[in-house]
Amino acid sequence: MSKKSKTITGVLIILVFLIIGFMSFMDSKIEYVNFAEAKERMRTVEVKGQWLKEKDSKFDGSANTFTFYMKDDFNNEMKVVLDGAKPNNFDVAEAVVAKGKMKDGYFYAKEVLTKCPSKYEADGKEVQQKKGG
Amino acid sequence: MIGKFLVYAFFTTALLSSISYYITHLGKEKYLKAGRLFFHLTAIGILSTAAFLMYAILTHQYQFAYVWEQSNSELQLPLLMSTFYSGQEGSFMLWTVMTAIIGIFLLNYVSKGDRLEPQVMSIFTLIISFLGLILILKSPFLYVWEKFPGEVEVGFLPEDGRGLNPLLQNFWIVIHPPTLFLGFSSLAAPFCFAIGTLMKNRYNDWIKFSMPWLLFSGMILGLGIMMGGYWAYGVLGWGGYWAWDPVENSSFVPWLVIVASIHTMIAQKRTGGYKKTNLVLCIAAYLLVLYSTFLTRSGILGDSSVHSFVDPGYEVYLALIVFISLFTLISVAAILFRLKELKSLNAESNKMLSRESTLFIGSVTLCAAALVILAGTTWPIFQKGTIDAAFYNKMNLPIAIMIALINGISLLLKWKQNDEKRFFKSLIFPLSLAIVVTLGLVYIGVQDFLIALFALASLFTFFVNAELAVNAFRKNKSSVGAYIAHIGIALVFLGIIGSSKYSEEENISLELNKPQDAFGYTMTYLGATPFEDPNNKRDTKYHFNVKIEKDNKEMLLQPVMYYSEYSKGVMKNPDIANFATKDLYLSPMGLVEPEVFSENEMIELKKGEEKTIGDVSVLFNDFDFGNVEMGGAEMQSGNYTIGAKIKVKDSKFTETLEPKIKYTEGNPEYLAAKITGNDTYNFYFVKMSIKGEDEGGVTATIAVVNNKLSSEKPKADETFVITASIKPFINVLWAGTGILVLGFFISILRRRKELLK
Repeated sequence: MSKKSKTITGVLIILVFLIIGFMSFMDSKIEYVNFAEAKERMRTVEVKGQWLKEKDSKFDGSANTFTFYMKDDFNNEMKVVLDGAKPNNFDVAEAVVAKGKMKDGYFYAKEVLTKCPSKYEADGKEVQQKKGG
Repeated sequence: MIGKFLVYAFFTTALLSSISYYITHLGKEKYLKAGRLFFHLTAIGILSTAAFLMYAILTHQYQFAYVWEQSNSELQLPLLMSTFYSGQEGSFMLWTVMTAIIGIFLLNYVSKGDRLEPQVMSIFTLIISFLGLILILKSPFLYVWEKFPGEVEVGFLPEDGRGLNPLLQNFWIVIHPPTLFLGFSSLAAPFCFAIGTLMKNRYNDWIKFSMPWLLFSGMILGLGIMMGGYWAYGVLGWGGYWAWDPVENSSFVPWLVIVASIHTMIAQKRTGGYKKTNLVLCIAAYLLVLYSTFLTRSGILGDSSVHSFVDPGYEVYLALIVFISLFTLISVAAILFRLKELKSLNAESNKMLSRESTLFIGSVTLCAAALVILAGTTWPIFQKGTIDAAFYNKMNLPIAIMIALINGISLLLKWKQNDEKRFFKSLIFPLSLAIVVTLGLVYIGVQDFLIALFALASLFTFFVNAELAVNAFRKNKSSVGAYIAHIGIALVFLGIIGSSKYSEEENISLELNKPQDAFGYTMTYLGATPFEDPNNKRDTKYHFNVKIEKDNKEMLLQPVMYYSEYSKGVMKNPDIANFATKDLYLSPMGLVEPEVFSENEMIELKKGEEKTIGDVSVLFNDFDFGNVEMGGAEMQSGNYTIGAKIKVKDSKFTETLEPKIKYTEGNPEYLAAKITGNDTYNFYFVKMSIKGEDEGGVTATIAVVNNKLSSEKPKADETFVITASIKPFINVLWAGTGILVLGFFISILRRRKELLK
């Protein structure tokens, strides 16, 4: 193979790879949206918001789903069904991020991440707590 | 005071060492001694700082905010020691210590003979200065009253620390982070050799010097990554060992570049080509470490990872940006400055079917994998959101197939030759064996085309390397390392196919003492037993005992769940039965306690709604909140009482009642109400439910218990809900990782020997 044809082959392979990569990339992008936008999109998205603690939440052992209500940052409320148990740190989470898609009027989440920055950033009051407190 | 002073001191001496070495490089040889002296002072300073921090931790000096935040007095020694690096400040400290230790060996190494000492050490100490700068900005020696000014009195000594995050309380934190950081730190050496050689403008010998270091980083970083995988798999209960999480990716990307660069370096040693490629790869690997540090430490990926990213504050963010920008700038400038010389370096060999060409193609493929992962990990910076893990799997599968094939092919080729006949002849044995085994795999269920191809490629490279390893072992034992490492990778690939693609998963509800069948095993939940964890006496942990039976053999698996006071949530750990060909993996999901009231005793009512149950009817009027504010502080604290105003009718009377729920720390106690003169029924307020508007707004659930019947009611048992999965051939994966590391180790011994010759 001459040097020129070698270069052309190389460039072609890289190009094909880049195109496939780009297409699959656009396919795998998970956008950050609110519930109103989630309703319009048929694909998997992420919604950040707060767990509405005062509303019904329940772990259904037979289906292995955890159902709760969530309010996104634009105050849209939504029933969320998580495929799995209640996540660790859910009760103290400052914010939760649900990843999934709309299904039959509720948000079916494959995964829920909890954000607890405040937990790690302690405050002065905690320092002065007594032992065991 | 001592700690802070030490950090300032070693920051200064590192900078002085860098400057002295740089002046030496410019030609003033007498500054070499100063450079060395300042480096030694820096190393002493860093080790003293670390010793002081460790001392503060071991003696519970809670006046230091870092010690207070990360540890407490009940942690046992190994975990207590690991709080040294469990927080952000400490992990930068660990990185610095590791870099200093590497530096001591590096100086010892470069000061023997003409090994680019001034150039290498001036860059190396500059790196240390930057780590020092970050520690100045993010000091582990801040007092609590400095961290919380105005809130905590000056001189206050907290009684106990806050303790270590329970997610981190296990064996892996003791060895995983140090291993990873040793890998990161040692990668500074090849980087400094690359920049040093550009400074010196001498390109013939630097790879000989940097090769052992590069192999060492590859081995240690690889080991660290695998430990992380095992941690995720065995303790955290994520179900898998790899989730394409930003933190995982950011150590994997540099590792891929290291491996790529090891291979082109070997090609350079044999043929003299790829000089530029190697310079660029060695530089890129370390810059990628800095970049991943930025990604995972700056808080910029805050919303896209299961790892908790703490925002380190503006100064650290800026310092990290300056750190990475400066070293990128130095690298680019060094290359541009030597562009003319680099261009004149002799070109690569032109034979397509030679080992060096295939090695180069292999390295390019590895870099492609690195690029794909890097793009996915970086994406959230540009647009809020994440990249689905499926993207990485989809993209890396063809890449991995290529890597396996190229690896096998390259080893059958000769250096600088194009001997096609011999090559095709040598293909016959490994390829036919691989085809036979793959056909067997297809027969037992590997039906996916790409996966079958992946298996074929992995088996091919496995047999190629196995044959070579056997031959090499007979003749020249020292060259066996590479083949062993490749066998390891082939096994890792095969293990990945088995354990991820052919993993089966099932949700199982195990009622107490009721055997249930899944995956050919009989599982019986035997109840929970509390046990004490010496590292965490505040929480009571529970083993959830599950008896596993198959063919008259019996074993006990004990997944763990407990309420963590630290996290204010339920923590769960899986348990695993390890068999020769597969793992049975039990991940706890939750415990469903029997309902206090049975389904047919309860009715759910909207305001104003009336329902009949048995021979009574219940009308729900309104809630009685008393002084309790909806969603207010009392409700949040879980200590409050609310009532439901109901109107009850039986055959004779109509009466207004108000059953109540009294919550104590969130646990309900149901206070019964009765109709005057009728003892048959107890009325309970079970719960208030707030539903979405479409489902009827707020409802009250009322239980009507017939006292005559309820005594006969069989009591329901608790149900333990698990996700059980089978991970076929995961042992092959773990064995592969071990063999890979062993291969690296043998190669290091060989390169060291070569160097000493």
